Amino acid sequence: MVYTPFDFNEAISQRREWAETGLREGSPVVGVSIEDGLFLLTVRQTQRKIFEIYDRLVYSAIGNQSDIEAIRIAAIDVAHREGFERSPDDVTAHRLVGFALSPPLKKLFGDSFNAPAVVRAIFGEMGTAPQNDLFYILNYDGEFFQRERCAAVAGTPEAEERIVLHLAEIAPDTPLRDAVPMALRAWAVGVLLSSRHAPGNGEEPAAADADISDDQVLQEIRRRLSSGSVEVGLLDRRTRRESKFRLLSAAEIQDIVKDFASND
Amino acid sequence: MQPSSLRELLGIGREPVLRLPEPNVPTHEAGGGTLPVQVHGTTVIAVKYRGGVLNVGDRRATANFAVMYDRAEKVLPIDDYTLLAISGSYARAMEVARYLRHSFKYFERSQLQPMSLDGKLAELARAVAAGVPAALQGIGGFIPILSTFDRDANEGRIFFYDGMGARFESTEYGAAGSGAIQIRGVFDYIVKTRGPFHQMERREALREALLLLDIASELDAATGGWSKVLPLAKTIDAEGIADVPEEELRNLVDEINQMGRR
Repeated sequence: MVYTPFDFNEAISQRREWAETGLREGSPVVGVSIEDGLFLLTVRQTQRKIFEIYDRLVYSAIGNQSDIEAIRIAAIDVAHREGFERSPDDVTAHRLVGFALSPPLKKLFGDSFNAPAVVRAIFGEMGTAPQNDLFYILNYDGEFFQRERCAAVAGTPEAEERIVLHLAEIAPDTPLRDAVPMALRAWAVGVLLSSRHAPGNGEEPAAADADISDDQVLQEIRRRLSSGSVEVGLLDRRTRRESKFRLLSAAEIQDIVKDFASND
Repeated sequence: MQPSSLRELLGIGREPVLRLPEPNVPTHEAGGGTLPVQVHGTTVIAVKYRGGVLNVGDRRATANFAVMYDRAEKVLPIDDYTLLAISGSYARAMEVARYLRHSFKYFERSQLQPMSLDGKLAELARAVAAGVPAALQGIGGFIPILSTFDRDANEGRIFFYDGMGARFESTEYGAAGSGAIQIRGVFDYIVKTRGPFHQMERREALREALLLLDIASELDAATGGWSKVLPLAKTIDAEGIADVPEEELRNLVDEINQMGRR
């Protein structure tokens, strides 16, 4: 098939739009690095969403279930092959995302005979201290970028930016118990913003979140928690266990979300 | 045909993720005949105690009659609740430990559930068995002891192996390495005179294990004593694996040093 330049632009933007449409409804995932460790947080329905990839790598994504799963398996395969053949120290998010995952995604995105992947992934890598922690965001088109301290994947770029602004208020010395509710609030801001951008909903995109009140955030969290549950995957910097990763237990989550429960 | 799905493009399933290389056996055609210098780990001991299981090992690694290393670590954490204590070929044992660590974690991370105890034991049996042809030629033979904590039964469990990969569960204790034969009867003596290990408190079981190691070092030329470096001791209980603190170890070692003196 031969493209004219116009066709090419048109085709790419259609593929992009198709992927973005699939991502818009996704429940955001937020990532925060503090002294206690590095965690990803989301609110899920039934499917588990946050996964351990390697000793110091955690992963989550929004998008099609099968694409999320394909990237998860590929990341685990590459990390373990490299970690065993060479050393666990050689397994880094930078190498994983940049050399193993991004090129196939880019190839698939440019392949006009196949549907592009619908996925936006977040990888967290825990170092020895918060300033050594890294986040990588990997997009359906193979584009990726690095962030420090905090990061998010959400339905729209605006929602992601706004989440990150909120997450940045979490100081590195914040204890985990306090950081998680703050991250949950940031997550809810992302949900509110993503839904505003839903096509055909008639509202103007929010220019600032002055128009999102604390009360709205609280209502949104309550509404979402009535059908879903908070999931937090932690890479624990202080544990002496062999595995640094753990999902926060139901009791730990309950202790945190009770602060958001309505009084009546 | 060009791969098209994301799974194919990512290369999922194209080649095995983990493969434990088998030791290369030099052949006479290749000019073999002289065995390479092989470093051996000597004595490791596992005993149960109330609420857990502990492993101790001396720090010596030898090659024939030479002491090659006096800070060897022969008790290796494999996952949160599994310790591998190794004796015999250091090179092969370390490779197997690295393999198991990746294999168990790979299973848990990809399948989203931990590998069963039986699955882990079989994996170790395969790794031992794969080395048999080389071991027959005098290369890479090693004997492991696997200790783990059974969270359902809330007790420690000990499995020992033979050189072919057969595994046996022990009710009280396990030992492997050059000093293990010399102290075998002592285990029974302790159980018959002081009661089973699994009913001892942690400190008592640790003291008996260290005493056994001390006897091994006196009766076996290859087993290291602790005049220079403290032995290695790790425990597994419901909370997972922990190192025995150096101070506790030093106190017990001092206590044992006073025993039998005139």
